[in-house]
Amino acid sequence: MSLSRADTGRRRLTLPAGVAWSNYALLAIFVVLVVVFCLTVPYFATWANFANVLQRNSVIGIVACGMLLMIILGGFDLSVGAVGAATSVVAAALIVHVSMPFGIVAALALGLGVGLINGFFIAKIGINPFVTTLATQVLVTGIMFVGTAAQPVYGVPESFTWLGLGRIGPIPVPTIIFAAVAILTWAILRFTTFGHHVYIVGGNKLAARLAGINVDRVTILTYGLGGLFAGIAGVVLLGQTNIGQPASAADWPLTAIAAVVVGGVPLSGGVGKVGGAVLGTLLLGVIANALNLLGVSPFWQPAVTGAVILVAVGIDSYQRRRLERR
Amino acid sequence: MLLDMQEIRKSFNAGPVLHGVDFQLERGQIHALVGHNGAGKSTLMKTLGGNFADYGGRIRIDGEEVVLHSPKQALAKGVAMIYQDFSLIPDLSVADNIGLGRDPRGKLPGLISHSALRKRSAEEAEAVGIRLPMDTPVRQLGVAEQQLTEIVRACSQNARILVMDEPTARLAPAEREHLFDVMRQMARSRGVGIIYISHFLEEIRQVCDVVTVMRDGRIVETGAASAYSVPDLARLLVGHDDIVAATANATARPSSGKPLLEIEGLAVAGRPPVDLAIGAGEIVGIAGLIGSGRTRLARAIIGDVAASGRIRLAGRDLPRRTPQRSADAGLVMVPEDRKVSGLALASSIEENMAATALAPRLSRFGIIRAREKRALVESLIAKFGIRPPDRKRAVGTLSGGNAQKVLVARAVAARPKAMILDQPTAGVDVGAKGELHKLVELSAAEGAAILLISDDLDEILALSHRVAIMVGGRVKEVLPREGLDRASLLAAISQGAPE
Ligand SMILES: Nc1ncnc2c1ncn2[C@@H]1O[C@H](COP(=O)(O)OP(=O)(O)OP(=O)(O)O)[C@@H](O)[C@H]1O
Ligand SMILES: [Mg+2]
Repeated sequence: MSLSRADTGRRRLTLPAGVAWSNYALLAIFVVLVVVFCLTVPYFATWANFANVLQRNSVIGIVACGMLLMIILGGFDLSVGAVGAATSVVAAALIVHVSMPFGIVAALALGLGVGLINGFFIAKIGINPFVTTLATQVLVTGIMFVGTAAQPVYGVPESFTWLGLGRIGPIPVPTIIFAAVAILTWAILRFTTFGHHVYIVGGNKLAARLAGINVDRVTILTYGLGGLFAGIAGVVLLGQTNIGQPASAADWPLTAIAAVVVGGVPLSGGVGKVGGAVLGTLLLGVIANALNLLGVSPFWQPAVTGAVILVAVGIDSYQRRRLERR
Repeated sequence: MLLDMQEIRKSFNAGPVLHGVDFQLERGQIHALVGHNGAGKSTLMKTLGGNFADYGGRIRIDGEEVVLHSPKQALAKGVAMIYQDFSLIPDLSVADNIGLGRDPRGKLPGLISHSALRKRSAEEAEAVGIRLPMDTPVRQLGVAEQQLTEIVRACSQNARILVMDEPTARLAPAEREHLFDVMRQMARSRGVGIIYISHFLEEIRQVCDVVTVMRDGRIVETGAASAYSVPDLARLLVGHDDIVAATANATARPSSGKPLLEIEGLAVAGRPPVDLAIGAGEIVGIAGLIGSGRTRLARAIIGDVAASGRIRLAGRDLPRRTPQRSADAGLVMVPEDRKVSGLALASSIEENMAATALAPRLSRFGIIRAREKRALVESLIAKFGIRPPDRKRAVGTLSGGNAQKVLVARAVAARPKAMILDQPTAGVDVGAKGELHKLVELSAAEGAAILLISDDLDEILALSHRVAIMVGGRVKEVLPREGLDRASLLAAISQGAPE
């Protein structure tokens, strides 16, 4: 960037020209934070602790991958928490009363179904994503509470916890599932026509329509995937708790949106990468873990998360404005 | 001297755009700024409009050195802008948009008097002789009316300097003439200095006193507008002599076979039905005044707006059309407004260009064939001469003319049987316009049926084999190209028009 006469009075914090914050700076911050924590936080730098962080954050990471798709499309989904709780309850009940494979499949179908319904109302009826997914969230939660009389579902066999707490070698099973979902999302966005259409529709819906893209189908499918991923997360959650708990997962929607946004993906749609969502998830997870190890009251954690969102997204937006001022 | 810009420099992260530009403007002067697509005209003017906090160089207004780091500062110094791509708020009414940022006080501080605002906006439109539906949300207007709204707004800001970035790119001949009258009047009687950017070089001699030519971020020449002929200007701004002249008479007659695109009794929202048949290799122009229903017709043909009647493509009926089904069948449209209905600005050239062709041509079982996509995109970037030739570049950072080329390339990429082009060369420079015309003719020569909507009568005359005259939503007559000239065409579209 050429230094100019009009500029000389002021010095600014800038990245070298051409380096977009979302690509590297987030990664750099993450690495720096991890190094700092390794040096300063007791027990942080142990594999047991890393595995713990991975295991705890994999569930939200899976949700965040779905959320990423919906955010690129220019929307988001507030019902993922209700879907996660409902799938884990349904899976628990069916595993206890029918069979394990049937329980899992039915739970995933439920997630997919709710997602498709979201997509249908958004695309075909034209209700905006906020209202639609708020409504389905309340609806699903309500039905679930009626169905269970607000009681947790017990009796899932101990072996099921392998899905939530098990390891393959040193790697937690949920993390492997998270990685699989993330790679799947990456592949969808990169290699499929559907994935490319998601970007165009998110960037300009009218233009996408006039260009011959079936906007409704893309929208319904995207929300369907979001629901399916929330369903997968719900099943993994059941593997961690072994109890179908209707009152769980209420914080998922906002945490997942936060992870994606911290990952440098703007809510305005049309842009976004899986790497951002994964990194955002891990960044929030690592910070929470460090606070935990330092013995900071858990009540502080939401406040810190809020501050992280403001700082990370703030730097991102500031850089964007500087570089892409019209 | 009213305005004195010295050594203006501006870079984006992709590289420098302005390499030390000097620009002067006198009071009461109408000063044309011309240059090829991406020359940096808009960037220079955005600098003046306070869009960049990091430009280099010095700006003096009326001898006073000013720092223009925000649009607000620029406005306070008396600089009003009409941006090339609109800066209106779509959901606000015309009256609200005209009065934007200049709220009349209500009874209490902090309140706005809407009735006063509406009244003042109506008066301001009246004062420049433009009639607009004051209460309609801007979103519902056609591009021409949006452009007129911008013009009224800029003219009402009591500016000393008025910047107009391609205000006529989307206006029909009558509106253009009217705009020129308004400009002359503002310059002569109020002493406003006007900077006027346009790719219609004939207009320059008609309204401007002085012309400045830019090329690749530098000024190449400045002089009295009357001293340059149109070919002089064209050569200067392109930088070489071989300009593809828009072919005076269209290519050989199309093969007289069966019509490829047949429109039968197509009626949109209570308007009279339209019948039109276009043969393979034929280009049919649609000429009409603004509001004559050309864009509506185009959108009805591809199935974006509901209409009764039938469309047949290569003998096959297209029932229950949507833009997607039409595209799959080989019928595509280039929409009229690249920013609003045309492109996904945050996505790259590649993504935008491949959008239509992706599903039918560039994928198998939903998986993209990346190598073919890339090859197609690179070849189109070269063919259309898109600058910079970087397929990963976000379309939102291209100059207006280059973005327009991406939009046309997107339709061509799908290898359609029939194409509807709605103002395909809005904002494209003379050199590139000739190239685009050649590409359109090439598509026709390869057997596509083409429907061309344009406000640029010369473009219609240069490309069409037949010209459909649209008046009040109805195709009044279809004339053969032979025997038509600018004057007779203008007369044809104006007759029977309201007023
Ligand atoms: N926000 C931006 N980020 C990066 N590059 C930009 C940005 N805006 C403009 N440019 C680049 O600056 C150059 C000049 O653009 P500008 O819009 O000033 O051209 P122009 O002369 O107005 O062309 P046109 O006639 O097509 O409107 C182009 O190469 C364009 O790609
Ligand atoms: Mg421009």
